[in-house]
Amino acid sequence: MTKTYAEINEKIKNGNVVVVTAEEMIKIVEEKGITVAAEEVDIVTTGTFGPMCSSGAFLNFGHADPPIKYEHLWLNEVHAYHGNAAADCYIGCTRMADVRPFEYGGGHVIEDLVAGKPIRIRGNSYTTDCYPLAEVDTELTIKDLNQAILCNPRNAYQRYVCAVNSSDRTLYTYMGKLLPRFGNAHFAGAGALNPLTNDPDYETIGIGTRIFLGGGIGYIMGEGTQHSPKSRFGTLFLKGDLKQMTSEYLKGVTYPKYGTSMFVGVGIPIPILNEGLAKKTAISDNEVLTDVVDYGIPRRDRPILRQVSYKELKSGFVELNGKFIKCSSLSSIFYARKIAETLKKWIKNGEFLLNPPAETLSTETICKPLKQISELKFVKDLKKKAIICYDDCDIKIVAEKIIQNNMNHIVITNRAKILLGIVTSFDITKALAQNKTELKEIITKRVVTASDNDPIEIAARKMRNNNISALPVIDDNKKVVGIITSEELM
Amino acid sequence: MTVINVTLPLELIKDINDYSKIINDILKHDISFNVLKFSIISSGVTLLLDVPDDKIEIITEALEENNAIINKKGRVKIDFENCIDCGACVALCPTDALYMNSENRLEYTEERCMACLLCVDSCPRSAIKEE
Repeated sequence: MTKTYAEINEKIKNGNVVVVTAEEMIKIVEEKGITVAAEEVDIVTTGTFGPMCSSGAFLNFGHADPPIKYEHLWLNEVHAYHGNAAADCYIGCTRMADVRPFEYGGGHVIEDLVAGKPIRIRGNSYTTDCYPLAEVDTELTIKDLNQAILCNPRNAYQRYVCAVNSSDRTLYTYMGKLLPRFGNAHFAGAGALNPLTNDPDYETIGIGTRIFLGGGIGYIMGEGTQHSPKSRFGTLFLKGDLKQMTSEYLKGVTYPKYGTSMFVGVGIPIPILNEGLAKKTAISDNEVLTDVVDYGIPRRDRPILRQVSYKELKSGFVELNGKFIKCSSLSSIFYARKIAETLKKWIKNGEFLLNPPAETLSTETICKPLKQISELKFVKDLKKKAIICYDDCDIKIVAEKIIQNNMNHIVITNRAKILLGIVTSFDITKALAQNKTELKEIITKRVVTASDNDPIEIAARKMRNNNISALPVIDDNKKVVGIITSEELM
Repeated sequence: MTVINVTLPLELIKDINDYSKIINDILKHDISFNVLKFSIISSGVTLLLDVPDDKIEIITEALEENNAIINKKGRVKIDFENCIDCGACVALCPTDALYMNSENRLEYTEERCMACLLCVDSCPRSAIKEE
């Protein structure tokens, strides 16, 4: 059995097309089998609604009188990129407002624009003979723009990882707030409803494919950045006319201590051209697998702890080392379903036709890491010998060691060199001022530490964030194996 | 009901009798309240009490007479207008006060909230506020 795009479009025009959502398709294939399902169903609709940081919009304002060529440009105090012709700009959703960072960003500007709210435009210029105006400060709405084009270089990940945190502090990441010691788990994407999951070999998805984007009609421009089909992390480069979209499906968001982003609603229709596509679109959450990844390790290649299905992720708990960790989504399953339903309605009503892509997406692209010229240095390369005192030591001895070794930090351990605390020259001074004589009265027990395999940059960030100048280096058993101070980092 | 966070300093409660005295001091006012959380920390005992709004003054007085330290802590309030039903708060909630219903929409059972406030800085739409 095969169908063509023309046959399916004919059915749409005649009003007898059979469209179902990717979730409904699972049941149909289960009940009727692949052959019957492939014959009966013409189109399967998909949907996803989640944070997509690689999103933004090209805007054209029209020329001022006298004309201006912006050098710097702000939309509601969010810096826009201006490296194009005079009256164009690109507003990216992760750019934060100069005045309210972590509260308002480019995604919020786009949401406000689409909602019809007025946006303040402020720009300046070095002036030229052809663009003599030096400053603009005006207010406009989306209706005043010549073009407003949503243009997202990396959207609709085929699947995404599930994030957990093994470290002993709360992490604020693009995967949300991750509690220490595996306190919670977060995942993203809609699983079996995800667009690329339903056409994993990109038979029908490619350049020019017409899609649901932000509540309006959009198009796939090609593979997205970091498209990685072999590892099933395909991505899409999308565009669409912002003027047709609605703010229900474009939401500016902010992740505390991470920054701003935007939720984007994407839905793709998959034409059931053959039995293979009927089978592929019947994929269930049980069959969509991803990795549980430890964000407690701040490296590019974070440890993968296990494989997990979207079925387990959506159940509310993820099992890890025999324990059940509470798990929730960062994407909205409710809106993903609503998008698949809306697209289904458009097609049924004859308002949306399908088209074959000019070229399907690559199944070969490789996503490479950054080529770095300077060699990565680790704590073990730069650490020095820690000056250690035992916990039953006299304060005077600690003071002597500070002088003898010209070291500001003395690490306190037990006889087995297990870390117990740290004492600085300032602590000794304070003890003297406050008439304290016992080491245990002045020792700092909550010590921020480093390990041998931490990159230097990570150790430096720990010092900066905690406003300290040294970190004892410990091994997995908390045994002290050295110290790294801000002096080594300079 | 309002949640109050009470710390009974270590010096104050050397044994169970001291603790009972303080609690009985509140109970003699014939008020029923819920103890949401009881924990022993290095500085003493902390209690999370769920108290009827009109009895807060009496309880606060009784506790303060016993030198307890009181921190009023509100439950959270959800601005559903701004909520996008993502779920970023759900896994953080230790009591399932925030949960997804069968349609995958966020629901909030206020009575279950124990004002831990873990969710407040997790919301990408800033739709969770301490009351």
